Amino acid sequence: MPREIALADALVPGLLLVFVGCLLLLWLVDTIVGRFGLYRFVWHPPLFRLALFVCMFGAAGLLLFH
Amino acid sequence: MSTAMESPPAASPRWPWLAAFMAEERAAWIFVAKTLLAMYITCWLAMLFQLEQPATAMITVAIVMHPQSGMVLAKSFYRALGTLAGSLFGLALMSAFPQQRELFLLSLSLWVALCAGGATLYRNFAAYGFVLAGYTAAIVTLPAVSNPLAVFDSAVMRVSEVLLGIIVSGVVSDMVLPERLRDLLRRSAREHFAHFIDFARGSTGGSIPRRDMEQAHMRFVRAAVQLEDLRASVIFEDPEARARSSRMRLLNQRYMAASTSFQSVHHLINRLQRSGRDNVAAALIALYAPIGEALSPEPALQQIPGVLAPRLQACEASLPTLVARLREALPETAWLEFDTGADLVRRFASEMREFTALEASLRAGHLSGSVEAVRFSRGNDYLGAAVSVLRTFLTMSALSVFWLISGWPFGSSAMLLATIFSGLFGASAHPITAIVNTLVGYAAGMLAGYAVTFWLLPGGDGFTMLIIATLPFLLIGPYLSTRNTLPGVGAGYTLGYVYILALKNPMVYDPTHFLNDAIAQVVGLGLTAVAFVFVPAVTGSGWQRRRQLVQLRRQVVLAASAPLEGLLYRFESVNRDLFQQIVTHTRPNSDESRSLLAWALSVHECGRAVIELRQDMADSGLPAAVGEAVQHAVQTIGRLYQQPSAAHWQQADAAVDRAIAMTAHHLAQARSNCQSALTHLHLLRSALRDDESAMAPYISSVAEPIHAS
Repeated sequence: MPREIALADALVPGLLLVFVGCLLLLWLVDTIVGRFGLYRFVWHPPLFRLALFVCMFGAAGLLLFH
Repeated sequence: MSTAMESPPAASPRWPWLAAFMAEERAAWIFVAKTLLAMYITCWLAMLFQLEQPATAMITVAIVMHPQSGMVLAKSFYRALGTLAGSLFGLALMSAFPQQRELFLLSLSLWVALCAGGATLYRNFAAYGFVLAGYTAAIVTLPAVSNPLAVFDSAVMRVSEVLLGIIVSGVVSDMVLPERLRDLLRRSAREHFAHFIDFARGSTGGSIPRRDMEQAHMRFVRAAVQLEDLRASVIFEDPEARARSSRMRLLNQRYMAASTSFQSVHHLINRLQRSGRDNVAAALIALYAPIGEALSPEPALQQIPGVLAPRLQACEASLPTLVARLREALPETAWLEFDTGADLVRRFASEMREFTALEASLRAGHLSGSVEAVRFSRGNDYLGAAVSVLRTFLTMSALSVFWLISGWPFGSSAMLLATIFSGLFGASAHPITAIVNTLVGYAAGMLAGYAVTFWLLPGGDGFTMLIIATLPFLLIGPYLSTRNTLPGVGAGYTLGYVYILALKNPMVYDPTHFLNDAIAQVVGLGLTAVAFVFVPAVTGSGWQRRRQLVQLRRQVVLAASAPLEGLLYRFESVNRDLFQQIVTHTRPNSDESRSLLAWALSVHECGRAVIELRQDMADSGLPAAVGEAVQHAVQTIGRLYQQPSAAHWQQADAAVDRAIAMTAHHLAQARSNCQSALTHLHLLRSALRDDESAMAPYISSVAEPIHAS
């Protein structure tokens, strides 16, 4: 994946798009998990969500840019 | 065992005030610590990423931080939206008028003004997003105003700084000792549920004094609006709450529908008793009794919806036989009145069943299937918003003109501050006090900023020294903002301090620039206050309250004429939103408050009956002549509420009478179609002739003397 992407002639870091994509993915996961109330089995839901996001973003970033 | 359990509480309240004080201080200091943590992390990251103005990111944190994490996340979400919209508009504006400063400033003032007006039309933090959209356009373009080519970089920098601040404050407030808004929502939802159930159970005697009814109504309304406000913020905090959001909305609608029916039933019984028709009233009370019974299982279970719902269902199924039995016992002349009441009681029973069943499924967490999508509509005052637009526009253009004519180098700072505060205070009820408070805090913050910038900071080196030098004065701000005694001072202090400190890497020390900037900012803030003197705030003013009362009455016109699709939900929620807006600014127990309550109850009862009546007309094919008469009655009632007068009352009363006669005449041919229309018409007539309601001044003696007492 290119490091910079031209959106309407403005160069945008590719990582930013990955970040936004991961946010959308997290939102999707949240919707599904919240629907079934699975966060109740987690000690600290916000911390878990943050960790999940870091994992997703880290994995996507490493896979695409490494 | 029991003595051991009881002894610690007996020993501990030696200094109860101390425990309370400590609990309060603890919450306040946790908030201060979280704010400072978020601020310094933001500052560090901003310096690490080499952003231009770390101060902007820190100010974002200062504005967004709130003790409850749901509030922070909701605020952040709308702030991000507002920032993106504002910076895009700023870019467009700069590319359209790079050379024409007059046109540029005019359009900028207009944009900021429109955003400030838009903010008054929204509740919660959506309003805040509008303020931000205006303010960001200004912070993106104003620094680049003499160098238009730099505006894109400026926009990218501002957006990065603001988003950095938002992300850090969101993460910190959600991770570190979070205070959950969800718990508050759950607690207050249960409290309101319990209160409503208790009230419905406690009134099996039938007649409730009007005064108690009014108090209960105020509470029901406050509950409905409060729950909606909380829900709108909690969905950002908790994915589970988001999944339940549509159910919570529907629950609130059912709550409102049930409370309206409840009032109608009791007003009808009250009226019957007052007009000496005790036999009908007694029959209705007897009909109501099973509902009270269904709501009274053994005391421990009285507020458990899962227990109440099946009992209410059983009760609802048993009502028709009871209706038939009670009807037999009454003389034939009283049947119409009894049918009207019986219909209402049955409607109330079925609404209560739906309400408790939904509450039970929410508590049990059964979320299978989808539910009807409903919205809580709000009642807006567009003229009030227009006043806000005008005021902001005048402030901004006055400052622009002054800036252009005087060539003041710091005019942009003054404009920036004016933008922020005219937006933030546009919807506030006492803006001048708020601005003066903020100004005091702001000035104090700038003084502290002066001391820190020129005495403490130059001696230190490195980020740790920066924290040590700035922290003691910084923590005053968030701490003050947790005190309710001085609203605005804390926020003003933090903003003034962080703004004027303008932390940078490397730091720039320039006393002349510092003083000029400080003066410009105070002028900007002061001018905002002056603008509120010339174009006063409308929120909560007598003028707006009168307009809103008219709007509340117009709700019946809406009920009489708007398309039926989703009308009931819109009617119930806008009614409550309007009522809540007026009642917050009305003195309790004043004449105004009494008249408002009387109108609100009357609008609820009549509007609901009109909607039900129109529903009948749409559902069942009424005979053409009847349909016409009913339609005419609905229209005249709409006219009565649009412009209450004795003449309109007479017309409405006559039209309803005629429709009743017409319907009764056709009853024999089309019983199934006409029966429910007849009871609703009868309810309307009885509500119109209620001499304790808001209609009292318009009732003329032509009406048959049913209110002899």
